[in-house]
Amino acid sequence: MLALQLLATGLVTGCALGVVAISFALVYSTTKIFHVAHAGIYTLAGYLAWSLVVHNAPLIVAMAVSIVACTALGALIQSQLYARLERRRATHLVVLIASLGALAVIQNIIAGVYTPNILQFPLPWSGEVLPLGSVRLTYVQLLTIAVSFAAYAGTMWFAHHTILGKRIRAVASNPMLADITRLQPQSVYIYVIAIASALVCLPGILVPMDLGLQPYNGVTPLLTATIAMIAGGVGSITGAFVLSIAIAVLQNLSLLVMPGEWSIGVTFFIFVIFMLFRPTGLFAAAR
Amino acid sequence: MDFLYSYIVLAEIYVLLGLSTNLLVGIAGIFSVSQAAVFGVGAYLVAHFLMAQDALPFIPSLAIAAACCVALNILVTLPSLRVSGDYFVVTSFGIQLLATAVFTNWTGGTGGANGLPGIPPPDIFGLQVESTQQYMMLCTIASALGCLCFYLVMRAPFGRLLRAIREDELAVAAAGKNVLRAKVSAAALAGAFAGIAGGLYATFLSFIDPSSFDLDASILLLTMVVVGGARTLAGCIIGPFLLLALPQILTLIEIPTTIAASARQLIYGVLLIVFMLFRPQGLAGERL
Amino acid sequence: MTAYLQAENLDHHFGGLRALRECTFTIDQGRITCLVGPNGAGKTTIFNAITGFLKPDEGSVTFKGRKLDGLRPQAIVHAGIARTFQNLRLFTDLSALDNVMVGIGNQFGEEPVGAILRPLHTLHRQRRLRQEALATLDHVGLADRAHDTVRNLSYGEQKLLTVARVLATGAELLLLDEPASGLSAGALDAVMALLRRLQSEGKTLLVVEHNTRVVQQIADDVLFLHQGHLMAQGTPEAIISDPALAEIYFGGAL
Repeated sequence: MLALQLLATGLVTGCALGVVAISFALVYSTTKIFHVAHAGIYTLAGYLAWSLVVHNAPLIVAMAVSIVACTALGALIQSQLYARLERRRATHLVVLIASLGALAVIQNIIAGVYTPNILQFPLPWSGEVLPLGSVRLTYVQLLTIAVSFAAYAGTMWFAHHTILGKRIRAVASNPMLADITRLQPQSVYIYVIAIASALVCLPGILVPMDLGLQPYNGVTPLLTATIAMIAGGVGSITGAFVLSIAIAVLQNLSLLVMPGEWSIGVTFFIFVIFMLFRPTGLFAAAR
Repeated sequence: MDFLYSYIVLAEIYVLLGLSTNLLVGIAGIFSVSQAAVFGVGAYLVAHFLMAQDALPFIPSLAIAAACCVALNILVTLPSLRVSGDYFVVTSFGIQLLATAVFTNWTGGTGGANGLPGIPPPDIFGLQVESTQQYMMLCTIASALGCLCFYLVMRAPFGRLLRAIREDELAVAAAGKNVLRAKVSAAALAGAFAGIAGGLYATFLSFIDPSSFDLDASILLLTMVVVGGARTLAGCIIGPFLLLALPQILTLIEIPTTIAASARQLIYGVLLIVFMLFRPQGLAGERL
Repeated sequence: MTAYLQAENLDHHFGGLRALRECTFTIDQGRITCLVGPNGAGKTTIFNAITGFLKPDEGSVTFKGRKLDGLRPQAIVHAGIARTFQNLRLFTDLSALDNVMVGIGNQFGEEPVGAILRPLHTLHRQRRLRQEALATLDHVGLADRAHDTVRNLSYGEQKLLTVARVLATGAELLLLDEPASGLSAGALDAVMALLRRLQSEGKTLLVVEHNTRVVQQIADDVLFLHQGHLMAQGTPEAIISDPALAEIYFGGAL
């Protein structure tokens, strides 16, 4: 039945969104920077992978190259833009505007080079469907679910069981204290953005494999992901992931009652509700 | 010559938008990427009133549109400012994307992606404003009034209060002032300017479509404030005049039309980064 | 008779740290009370709790018989209590005069509609308020620095300006957070003279202070705070000469 199918595709979208949310949350909760340029890295990942695939590179290689390049770009933005602004004691607003500038630069270079038209991944197997009972999902969609859950698990393990992960959590919970105790927040920031950029490449490549590439398509997923992060409670990886799935499913189910162009209204409505009634989110990180 | 007048008319309309964005971003320190959305609401509303069955005259249409934009800005800033600065970033993006969705999909109200043609010229107390020269006079008066309001507001205690809030909100609260009310008032005033600019824009071009009011347009408005300079009247004027000359300069370099739009947006992005890094006070403003 | 300012059983945790522990004390009207204690004792936390910057987990604050629980900072200023900050928090790009004028309540033209529709009225009123602000600056001894930007004032002058700003609000109970710290001997004397002058004009002062000389010279009462709890209350001589308290203050605690 239609509802079940919508639920399933909602799960797919939600999983991809969840990785965007986790990666954004990583940066935001640690550096406190609202890194809107993250949407640009998300978009770039897909285009880079596409360029390689179109030249007959194996998908795995394309993904690997894309991840390396995007990680480098993320680190560049942090070290050359954000870190410099921080050194000049720039206000929050200034950093936000700079990040927006970076987003505009990335998106429009892509639009200039690749044209604003929708591009598709030339992968013959990507559209093949696997019927699961009354639900039909393509291999790409199934891959998206699997990879996203793996990314979630990997991030959780990293945050709780590695030294760098614990260091990141320490800086996130108290940057001033971290500064005094020589945890060197700035160097942690580079690692955080690098990891986040690498993570966001996964949905950045998988989603366009399903839906196609477009230069300006990064902002809406980022917006939805930030809403999921806030609703889930800033600082909670699980919260961000779970709420992403919840929001995507709700968005999809809303298609039963309203046309698709208004689905962003649904997301926004959810955000307003949370802001009015529970601004700290559902899984607010208990300190 | 007509070409020059057109440029001046558009620049003056964008001066009003510059005043609006400067109030919100430069003075109250609220990061907003939804200014173009409010601009669009103003434009579509005025177009609607002028083309309706019982059409309203120009000035009342403008007034109602401005009032709606004021209400919109209050509605948008009030809940999110109460919670935290970054929540407003999300709200602002959301409003802008939602507005673009409405402008593009509500074909009944806005003509959808194809836009709204045939907007009649303004009729002010019996005088038809039709030629570009007449428009220039209208817009010069409008932008001059706008600048006057901005000047009066900034010289008044309100201006001082906003400057203090930008420096240290907590200290302002400790001095007994309502910070939220001041910020929301700034947003309301910004809404009025944007709404009026929208009305002037709609009647001047006689055709509007969603592409003038999208996220890219909001980024252009931010760039105007950043380049012109925050918090000064000079910045509100220099920014628009300079940035609207940019497309003309670009045509001199013979950029193919297919990438012209993204080339412009790329330049705005570069300007934002460069100014934030090396000249946060813009050309004629104060440090952001 | 109801106490002027009464704090009852204030309790507050910051994560794992208990900043205030069943803190109870009263302040009498017209007196200068000094709040002393080692670093981290909770003195600024108490200020924050009284002035609405912090909502304590437990307990309440009553001022002239009225509970202040849940009031926003600006409402508490209107009720008659104003505070300064240890790190000054002046508006550095504004002039001294402007800093004071921000504090003056009930100004016409503090919202855009009035400013636009009645510009001459706004101007006229501003002229009068400017006189009022200049008088306040004169009162603290900064009249000749009125038009200088805060950046260009000396540390001592900036401290005096923070007092001028709270005076502008018209509050009757002033909470001053270390008004004398970091000052040269001359500036110190000026501040102490100012505080005594304010008391003689009917103000009540609650002052956080580390300098024992200052405490001895100006305090009528002393509250000794340790680990968020009021340990002792008494005259300056009694508190300062108590060996157990000196041990806590100088000896063990960080």
